[in-house]
Amino acid sequence: MKVQDLIQVFKEEQARSRSDLRHIWAVFWANFKIFLSYRTWVITETLSTVTSIAMYSFMGLQVPPDRLVEAGYGNVNWLAFALVGIASTNYLWMCIGRLSHSMQHEIRDGTFETVISSPIRLRSYVIGMSIRGFLVSSYFMVGALLVGTLVCRAPLIINLETALSSILLFLMLIISHMGIGIVAAGIILVYKKGDPVAFLFSAFTEFFGGVLFPLKLLENYPVLNAVAWAMPYTYALEALRRVLLTGATVVSPEVFTNILILVGYTLVFMPLGLLAFKWGYNRVRNEGTTASY
Amino acid sequence: MDREEILRLLSEENPSRPTPVWRMVASQIVRDFKVWWTYKMWLTLDITGTMLFISTYYLVSHIISGQHIANAGYTTGGYFTFAVVGIAFQQYVFSSVMGINESIRDEQWMGTIETILSSATSFRTFLFGESIFFFIVGSSFLAGSLATGLALGAEFRLEPLTFISIMVLSMLLIASHMAVGILGAGIIMKTKQGNPLVWAFSWMTQLVSGVFYPLGLLPWYLEWVGKIFPLTYSLDAIRLCLQGGQTLASPMVLNDVASLLIFIAVALPLSLYIFKLGYDSARREGSLSQY
Repeated sequence: MKVQDLIQVFKEEQARSRSDLRHIWAVFWANFKIFLSYRTWVITETLSTVTSIAMYSFMGLQVPPDRLVEAGYGNVNWLAFALVGIASTNYLWMCIGRLSHSMQHEIRDGTFETVISSPIRLRSYVIGMSIRGFLVSSYFMVGALLVGTLVCRAPLIINLETALSSILLFLMLIISHMGIGIVAAGIILVYKKGDPVAFLFSAFTEFFGGVLFPLKLLENYPVLNAVAWAMPYTYALEALRRVLLTGATVVSPEVFTNILILVGYTLVFMPLGLLAFKWGYNRVRNEGTTASY
Repeated sequence: MDREEILRLLSEENPSRPTPVWRMVASQIVRDFKVWWTYKMWLTLDITGTMLFISTYYLVSHIISGQHIANAGYTTGGYFTFAVVGIAFQQYVFSSVMGINESIRDEQWMGTIETILSSATSFRTFLFGESIFFFIVGSSFLAGSLATGLALGAEFRLEPLTFISIMVLSMLLIASHMAVGILGAGIIMKTKQGNPLVWAFSWMTQLVSGVFYPLGLLPWYLEWVGKIFPLTYSLDAIRLCLQGGQTLASPMVLNDVASLLIFIAVALPLSLYIFKLGYDSARREGSLSQY
């Protein structure tokens, strides 16, 4: 091939798609294909989910049924109580942590600079990555609930009303925490180190959210109790338990109040997250450190 | 500079005495410690995470009946003490054994493993140094976890004979899991992946080794699966000492010790052989530094 012809080919204007939807789809599909190539990871994570639910079901054999009645949940089984907590906390951790985790990989592998030099807008990249995280997490969350209810016989109340209410609550759970995930991504852009926000989430939500024990037990410790009720996750989990353990719906006053509180958290966290991310993004571009690790 | 002079300097024989192994191991521990110390934030998070995890089980113990624990022969301390021992020792072996694997993977990832292996340090010494470092770190976390448990109200039977028994059992626990660590390192050398082994030891031991509940609650087939893992025997013997006041002279503890010794006698030579296969294969293929 002649050199001039080659230069001509490179110079040729390509009709570029400016559609955000196509960009989001492209980012999502590219990353989803990568996810499917990690077969060992998918298999071991699936087995881990099954194993952890089985483990909690054996643990539940040690809990006398009257212990949760004292905590105000009625005569419910501890496995059902814990299952809602485990499924939601894992779901939240995977959804929120996925964006920062993927970004860390891109930076570490040296592909982040290529991504941001491409015509893909950063917002499309962030949304596409988040959708992938959302779908992958949903697979594990639904799997955990299915294993818990069908195999381990955890008595959850599932009908059309509670199913729709749960879907809405899971969405609110993610939206209200999305700002925190975006902050984590911004921190990783600048400091390139670890994923402290996601780590803190898994440890703090499990304790302060009352994943394995009723929060009534924290009432003896006023400071811890105040911290627990300052976290949006606590409200989401409380509402989810009301729906799946006692049959309440989104129109029940106690669930509806919690949804309003989650909307409030979304209005605070989302702009803060976007601001932090913009700060991190502009800083690494100005410093020229998008490719350094 | 004169080229001939450079050549002369480079070809000069350096009168070098072989460095003793202990000095190489000590240097490696210092190196690893310096690297580890730079990640202060992660260290803080790790400590916080462990304390929160134990606190979670402190609160869970308020709703759990201690009857099954007492029936299993662990009469002192109730469920919280049972869970603290399970969590502390499971994390101890997990962080120690898997730390070695992670360390080799990191060296491969960073491309520094070939440099280390081209130096005067043999791979055996390197592996030994890494193991010692991770067991020091793991032991600090073990002490921290048990101290957190004590602060929250866990009760242990700490008579002199019990203490000696715990020390011996901890050594057997380390030796049995060292075999697993070496096996994992051999697999990583060849496949550049160690995750299935990490998975088996983190999740399967939680399910079948009695970390969070006595083995009597498991169906018979899972109880049998649990007998494959050395952690099952170690936890039972350690709890019989710490929660039951028994010692190495007790038949039940001796039974666990015998099982651990059999595991070590079978698994250690086998894992060393698999490690040698993986290491030699990676050297032949020139893929030591590939990831």
